[in-house]
Amino acid sequence: MDILNKTAEEVASIARSGEVSVKEIAEQMINAIKQKDSKIKAFIHIDFDAVIKRAEELDTKKDKSGVLFGVPIAIKDNMNMKNTETTAGSKILSGYTSPYDATVVEKLKNAGALIVGKTNMDEFAMGSSTENSAFFNTHNPVNPEYVPGGSSGGSAAAVKANEVIASLGSDTGGSIREPAAFCGVTGLKPTYGRVSRYGLIAFASSLDQIGPFGKTVKDTAIMLNAIAGFDPRDETSVQTEKEDFTALIGKNIKGKKIGVIKEVQDFKLQEEVKNSFNDTVKALQNAGAVVEEVSIPHLKYALPVYYIIAPAEASANLARFDGVRYGLRVEGKDLKETYEKTRTEGFGTEVKRRILIGTFTLSAGYYDAYYLKASKVRRLISNDFEKAFSKVDALVLPTTSTTAFKLGSITNPLQMYMNDIFTIPISLAGLPAISIPTGTDKKGLPIGMQLVGKWFAEKELLQIAYTVEQELGGKNGI
Amino acid sequence: MDLKKYEKLAALNLSEEEEKRISKDLTDIINYFEVLKEVNTDNIEPLVYTKGAKLFMRKDEKQKSLDKELLKKNRELFNSNFYRVKKIIGD
Repeated sequence: MDILNKTAEEVASIARSGEVSVKEIAEQMINAIKQKDSKIKAFIHIDFDAVIKRAEELDTKKDKSGVLFGVPIAIKDNMNMKNTETTAGSKILSGYTSPYDATVVEKLKNAGALIVGKTNMDEFAMGSSTENSAFFNTHNPVNPEYVPGGSSGGSAAAVKANEVIASLGSDTGGSIREPAAFCGVTGLKPTYGRVSRYGLIAFASSLDQIGPFGKTVKDTAIMLNAIAGFDPRDETSVQTEKEDFTALIGKNIKGKKIGVIKEVQDFKLQEEVKNSFNDTVKALQNAGAVVEEVSIPHLKYALPVYYIIAPAEASANLARFDGVRYGLRVEGKDLKETYEKTRTEGFGTEVKRRILIGTFTLSAGYYDAYYLKASKVRRLISNDFEKAFSKVDALVLPTTSTTAFKLGSITNPLQMYMNDIFTIPISLAGLPAISIPTGTDKKGLPIGMQLVGKWFAEKELLQIAYTVEQELGGKNGI
Repeated sequence: MDLKKYEKLAALNLSEEEEKRISKDLTDIINYFEVLKEVNTDNIEPLVYTKGAKLFMRKDEKQKSLDKELLKKNRELFNSNFYRVKKIIGD
């Protein structure tokens, strides 16, 4: 039986029944990776022997009830997994062995998942194309001349290429949703605080959130069931009642109110993206939803706000990489020079650029004009969304204004930042959002639409996303 | 912008070529921030943690520490408890 074209839900059920052993699943997956990954390059680290060993251990388990039992899952390389190398796509962490499991890794293991390996990413999750990885580029499985998006490009590509069934990414300003859109898979960024960040290498702590990639909306709901929940080791994780995120999937959305953001129309969209957006609105209406216009007046300020706040937080978070305790160490004549040499050699250009922006905007004399100002505008953006959500249940907008671009085609950092123009506002407000494939452009490249839910309303968001997926079924080529 | 000053603060020491490249980008990016000046933020509280996220204090209890054997895989520990760095205080 060919396992790799199946959903997580199907694979777990097959593995649980014993119809196919987890070891056989692992072997199929390893063959697929050996066959395809030399071209796609989704993985940074993968130890086939260790995968087989983990599969054999799962096969001897008496309790096969885990929601992801036997499901091959890849993890973005910024999440710690005990006794494996974790680099966050950076030279400065080359050779770093994780001494512990991130909470999400622990939770996936408890759910019976077969964790396969670590996927490529933009260095420290700073980027939108995975071209900032210190190691190599990842290629879009739909067309290898194009980027897979980023920063979780490896995780999105591995799912699209059927190298794994599902994966985890992290999203600070769009790093799950943008690659999901570019590769034609489903990617969910949960509400800030829904999933523990313990063991995730921090980029911008007030924005970072871990979430799943899957082939279907339901698979991302199942993944969220496995990884969500309060964790005392992450002081921003939120205490909420345990929920089943699949509970509303398949229930009709008649009468649900969906908002279309007026200000999105001020941005230029690729023709096919615009058409696909209209198709999505029609699909929602066909399913009985009421679509109305809402306003997010401060939308256009989201990008500059983000590029002040995220680098500011990053400049503080990345101070820990000094060569003392792990990773690269370049000796200097004294401790200070050792720090400098290690960091100068270990960090890539984009990371240095952002550290320097953050150092500048937080420095004496500039703090009020930049960081404090941005944090205030962030409040206004969040207020805009709150007002919109007093009228509607969800929002719909394109994930990106264009489909994937060619490797090497964007060299200007500001132009690269523009890719996240529709994902960043939602991140700043901490809202949950999902990107689902809704069509392809004339080159055959996938188009993704973003649905945004109220804070902690992932259940309803997934219900609406599932309906759109069904209405547009067959179009996304999965 | 005095790039050298911020390099020093960030413990970086860029090559001349890298300085040239980054300094132009930084000027463009910082200019791009200017647009925020048109937003009136009088009497607006800064937002640091988004809705629902609030900090809590955990109980001050003894917890298991990281596995020293795995820490040793990254750096040799001095007296099995300490990281080794170059001397900081002078003679």
